[in-house]
Amino acid sequence: MANQNEADRLQQETAFQKLIRRPEIGSFVVMIIIIVALAIASEGKSFNALGLKNNIAIIAQYGIIATGAAVLMISGEFDLSIGSMIGFAGMSMAMMLKWGLPFGLGEATPFTAFIITLAMTLALGWVIGTVVVRSGLSSFIVTLAFLFFLRGVTEVSFRLINKSTQISGLPDYKETSWFADILGGDVFGWFYDLWFMLGGNLNRRGEQWVEGFDARFLWWLVIAGIAYFILSRTQIGNWIYATGDNKEAARANGVPVNRVKIGLFMFTAFCATMFAACQVFDTNTSDAAKGNLMELFAIAIAVVGGTLMTGGFGSVIGVVFGAITVGLVANAVFFIPAIDGAWFRVFLGGILLAAVFANERIRKRITGGI
Amino acid sequence: MAEPYLKVEKLVKRFGPFTALGGVDLEVYPGEVHALLGDNGAGKSTLIKTLAGVHQPTEGNILIEGKPVNFRSPRDASDAGIGTVYQDLALNQLMSVTRNFFMGRELKGPLGTLRMDEMNQIAHDEMLKIGIDFSDPTQAVGTMSGGQRQTLAIARAIHFGAKVLILDEPTSALGQKQQMGVLKTIKRVRARGDIAIIFITHNEIHSRLVGDRFTFLALGKVIGAGKAAEIGDEEMRRLMSGGAEMGDLEQELAAI
Repeated sequence: MANQNEADRLQQETAFQKLIRRPEIGSFVVMIIIIVALAIASEGKSFNALGLKNNIAIIAQYGIIATGAAVLMISGEFDLSIGSMIGFAGMSMAMMLKWGLPFGLGEATPFTAFIITLAMTLALGWVIGTVVVRSGLSSFIVTLAFLFFLRGVTEVSFRLINKSTQISGLPDYKETSWFADILGGDVFGWFYDLWFMLGGNLNRRGEQWVEGFDARFLWWLVIAGIAYFILSRTQIGNWIYATGDNKEAARANGVPVNRVKIGLFMFTAFCATMFAACQVFDTNTSDAAKGNLMELFAIAIAVVGGTLMTGGFGSVIGVVFGAITVGLVANAVFFIPAIDGAWFRVFLGGILLAAVFANERIRKRITGGI
Repeated sequence: MAEPYLKVEKLVKRFGPFTALGGVDLEVYPGEVHALLGDNGAGKSTLIKTLAGVHQPTEGNILIEGKPVNFRSPRDASDAGIGTVYQDLALNQLMSVTRNFFMGRELKGPLGTLRMDEMNQIAHDEMLKIGIDFSDPTQAVGTMSGGQRQTLAIARAIHFGAKVLILDEPTSALGQKQQMGVLKTIKRVRARGDIAIIFITHNEIHSRLVGDRFTFLALGKVIGAGKAAEIGDEEMRRLMSGGAEMGDLEQELAAI
């Protein structure tokens, strides 16, 4: 008894115990259940060559913005302007491609349209972040203001310049611009080529059916990969966790709390812009309603993935599982026509509530039940 | 007589019309525990916040190794070797021991990556030096006891170059056994010989157990100071109650 110290009271765990205590485990189990259930209910259609492509397309869309929302939430803030930022960025790019660059700078290329749009959205992210940290107001209310503001600006700009709230029939830039192709084209063609060579991936005429995944799949992997690396392995990652956990403690130890937050508001703006760019260059269209409600899906997926609403804790891997789960269910109606599409929202509401309770349990376990 | 590492001369701090500190003198020597005692509102917090660079003095001097210094921010103070361990400890519960230890001062490799193994090792070794063998520095601070958290915060301050360690009521809000643990930690830091400790407390017994030198504050002024041997228990009790005689108090109580 005498040579026993307090540290010994913490039970040593086996590898399996450590695994089932990981924050991602809940979202992982739910994801597996959904994958299996969907495969059975759709009689395999949801994971045939085209089904997989379509599912991954929506999963990647959700995944891109949920990554941004989750990292921002870990630092203790929300961004409700993501959806409106998507609409704004899509409008900006499509409008430049159709009507030329602003201030009479001539014709836009996909590259210039994207870069100028990105500069604007990053500046907006900076403004939002600065307003939040300088005013000390809740980011909920500040970004709610930008939700309305940006959606309004998007619609007004469409009507003033374009006389209509949608743009369609843009030329297919993927054919002529490598830049448009890496955002809106196909990726991982080798996967479907291999599938074809192995005797699958056939259409009715016996030719190769699907050529590749949408490029946003690659962008999702890149964004999630970088976010994972930064959060778990770098100094900035430590600052993000510290900022979200206890802002004052972080500040007292020299963490530049305000810069971390402003940077992450710019990161969510970047994610929204990538979402919009992949959409515009894939479909060559844009309209004023694009991205509607996406901020709420992004936050819901972040929570389903194990991110704490109160900040300081979360995992990019969990968010990947969350995006897969929510994306598959959102798309399920296309593979199982018998179900009503609105069940998706019923499911999302239920799983969100369950995730909040599960996350709260995780938080209590880590902080020793406080 | 050794040179005091930190010397405070006639320190005055006013907040508008309110005089929080009315000319305080203090000398802190390396390898000594300087117990700073006083009732609530005596000015202890203002004094340590001034030393930590949170407040700027209105009048008077702060000298480090004989040279006057002027702290404009907590950063300045910590660069000058003043490490303050506040009551809330400035720790993040959800983060690991190591991540807290190096918060804001992480060891970076190329690309800003964390040298995690090295950091784990340092955090473990530094805590072991002052008394706790924490086998797993990757566990969350939330799982640690109050005493262990104190040790972590103290080890962190020492590792990042504190020559004066200011401990703001480290034994309050702890259980008996953990209070003793913190006192042991203070003794171990003292035994290094190169660190001066300012130990702020309400508790007479605790200050007696570890203090080498005492300063008593009341209403922003020093009402008594001296080495441990020079101050008797009776005198100490009188000074701790802000200079009022216990006898007076007994009479007052009896009169109610």
